Amino acid sequence: MLRRLFTTYLKFIQIQILSQIQYPFSFLFDVFTNGISLLIFFLSLSLVLQRFDNVGGWRLGEIAFLWGTAEIAFGLMDMIFSGFDPDSFSVMVRQGTLDQMLLRPANITIQIFGSRFILRRLGRIAEGLIIFTISQVLSPIVWTLPRLLFYPVVIFSQILFFGGLFIAGSTITFWTIERIEAVNILTYGGNEMISYPMHIYPDWLIKFFTYLIPLIFINYYPALFFLGKPDPFGMPAFAPFLAPLAGLGVFLASLWFWKFGLRYYQGTGS
Amino acid sequence: MNAIIKVEHLSKTFEITQSQKGWSGALRGLIKPLKKKIAAVKEVSFELKPGELVGYLGPNGAGKSTTLKMLTGLLVPTSGVVQVNGLVPWRDRTKYVASIGAVFGQRTTLWWDLPVQESFDLIQYMYRIPDKRYRHNMDLFRDILGLDPFINTPVRSLSLGQRMRADLCAALLHDPKLLFLDEPTIGLDVVAKDKIRQFIKHVNEERKTTIILTTHDLQDVEKLCERVIIIDHGQLLFDGTLEALNNRFGGQRTLQVDFAETYPDVSIEGAGLISHEGLQATYQFDRDILSASDLISRLSNRYKISDLSVREPAIEDTIRRIYVDKLLEN
Amino acid sequence: MRLFLKILRLSFRRQLTYRTATLAGLVTNLFFGVLRASVLIALFNAQPSVNGLTVKGAVTFAGLTQGVIAYLSIFGWWDIMQSIEKGSIGADLLKPMNFFTYWLAQDIGRAAAQFVTRGLVLMIAFGFLFQITLPASPAQWLAFAFALILSGLVSFAWRFIINLAAFWSPNAIGFGRFAFSLTWIFSGFAMPLRLFPDWFQQFCAFTPFPAMINTVIEIFLGTLTPPETLQALLLQAAWFVGLSILSQFILKAGIRRLVIQGG
Repeated sequence: MLRRLFTTYLKFIQIQILSQIQYPFSFLFDVFTNGISLLIFFLSLSLVLQRFDNVGGWRLGEIAFLWGTAEIAFGLMDMIFSGFDPDSFSVMVRQGTLDQMLLRPANITIQIFGSRFILRRLGRIAEGLIIFTISQVLSPIVWTLPRLLFYPVVIFSQILFFGGLFIAGSTITFWTIERIEAVNILTYGGNEMISYPMHIYPDWLIKFFTYLIPLIFINYYPALFFLGKPDPFGMPAFAPFLAPLAGLGVFLASLWFWKFGLRYYQGTGS
Repeated sequence: MNAIIKVEHLSKTFEITQSQKGWSGALRGLIKPLKKKIAAVKEVSFELKPGELVGYLGPNGAGKSTTLKMLTGLLVPTSGVVQVNGLVPWRDRTKYVASIGAVFGQRTTLWWDLPVQESFDLIQYMYRIPDKRYRHNMDLFRDILGLDPFINTPVRSLSLGQRMRADLCAALLHDPKLLFLDEPTIGLDVVAKDKIRQFIKHVNEERKTTIILTTHDLQDVEKLCERVIIIDHGQLLFDGTLEALNNRFGGQRTLQVDFAETYPDVSIEGAGLISHEGLQATYQFDRDILSASDLISRLSNRYKISDLSVREPAIEDTIRRIYVDKLLEN
Repeated sequence: MRLFLKILRLSFRRQLTYRTATLAGLVTNLFFGVLRASVLIALFNAQPSVNGLTVKGAVTFAGLTQGVIAYLSIFGWWDIMQSIEKGSIGADLLKPMNFFTYWLAQDIGRAAAQFVTRGLVLMIAFGFLFQITLPASPAQWLAFAFALILSGLVSFAWRFIINLAAFWSPNAIGFGRFAFSLTWIFSGFAMPLRLFPDWFQQFCAFTPFPAMINTVIEIFLGTLTPPETLQALLLQAAWFVGLSILSQFILKAGIRRLVIQGG
């Protein structure tokens, strides 16, 4: 059963990938521009930092660690969860593509995962890796075994966290039909937010993204652990390790919401 | 024989959100949307026997596609019973859809970027069609649908007619007992339409596949369906044979006459004269009052006739009259 | 000219009908504005002023740049590209109007509507959240208005040129994304140009990009002297003229290519 789900997924993904690399030159160019256009914002910050020294007490190398990690994870997420990108999902609902999928005898969630796999996002992942490398040159981390083991967990948590938000954002379009741009605040806005140390934001924003949406735990707190920095908010010592809990929590809650939304869609239609 | 589709008191009510006027309306709409209930399908009941080919007709917005969505398991009804092949469509979706075939003329089930053949292979995988069965069906359909010239072309490069043929093949590869066709000839030219119709007829007659067909093209109905179900404003208006429909609601027949000489007055009792120009005149008459032969003999007694033709009421006219004149509403 | 104004009006009104989308876009722009202001405040970190820019000015910069996103279609505008790809370009070229001015009229209408609904409203909201600077004199306001209009024109000419790439490649959108991303850094959208190293600013001065955003900001913040202001405005106008002329050459070549290949 599970194996069949997985092979179905792989078959779909294979189609997606093959059709995207059909024209290798234009594909590579797309990957390149995708990466460059994002790298530009980090370059801006690093150039401007020549006149300043730090952002909220964090030096460029430390910011680069936050930034690079967030970009690697978001790029991976954006690629794997392409089918659930709320912008394209709302189009799928409106054009009846979702109905066509429901007429096929295969798990619907897997079909949506397999319906889109934007390989161009490799550009963002590469951008993230470049920035991460910069961070290791400017402010090297001592990679102890616990740190080495925890880092992939953090990446994985972020993928689950934002992937969950993608799913939730798509689910909302069952009710609204039109895409909801405000969801972008949580996804793209959340990604931008965690690229900087969270303590620079207004108090109400930090509180919101700590207690209501646990954004602060997926990148900022783990970074405190990796960089060996003190916690300005005085959270318990285990706070840096809440990342998987936050990621899994958001993901599972979204999955539940998605099932609920699907039932609503089939009960009411469009 | 037992019914393959059983629909009883099927109803579907939608709750739609209305957009409100102006900027304050947009703001209010975000906070407290204005809701309105719309009954798309009301108390519809019918049964289909295995092997039937039924036309499901109605004007736009009549509730056709809502019914179809409920029959294919995409939508759960508000109330009522649907049983297809002994299954309830919306319960255990994957099992149910594996037992039916569906073609929605406006969009394709095939994979846009894949060559046609690879799309079919993927369908074999998804529907778990045994190799032998698959090859047998594939050979058959390639032949009668004439798929060979474009079997290795990506779906996106197909013409509409080619795509429809490929879609029909895809819907039948797993030998479904029941086939749903939504506007299968939409947008096609005359030749392509004819090919599709022949194929549908073939599938119905040779493979005994039960078919429900919705269409706006009444030629489809005339050429394919013995039985029609008509629905409007969500309610069932008519369910019976095409002939019964014509007998009950068919308008008047017309007789066109070419006279051998010019006559100043060619009116005749029992038939209405609708046009008279030069040597040619057209009459309308009711089959219940006057037979065609009576009318012709009456005319030939009085005038010299060089040629004549009788035209039956066109199904288009009948259906139009039902939609527009609300013939069936009490 | 009557036709020009008519197209402009139609496009303006069409834009006003997307109310929910406008509201949502506004909220998003504002949210990102708050993030960017926070970063700038953290950068200044108690320093009163860096290279002539104060924290208050930097925060105002965040609001202004977020406010012009919609007005200048900073994140992308592919209307002409799509019309070339769909082939409706043929009908556009047959219109009794110059192709450039036809699209210019549409863009001004769109931009004007978005300036009001997304720019003005955002700046007012930003003013409630943060302390911002405003132009001190009527003359500065007037100069700001001119700079804003000219920035729209320069940006349009640049976007027009980017879109013409579709004549040459079916995958021009990749190139387009790249071209747009250049705008983000060199125009002073990502960070105020003033905060960059001197060599970088000198390089930018040779490009049309500062005329799209940076000039507007400098004038609004009052960091330019009156003669410098006048010079900056003239430079904007010159870039508009220059890019427009360049675009006509590219358009001619593109049409020739289309005709030869039979579109």
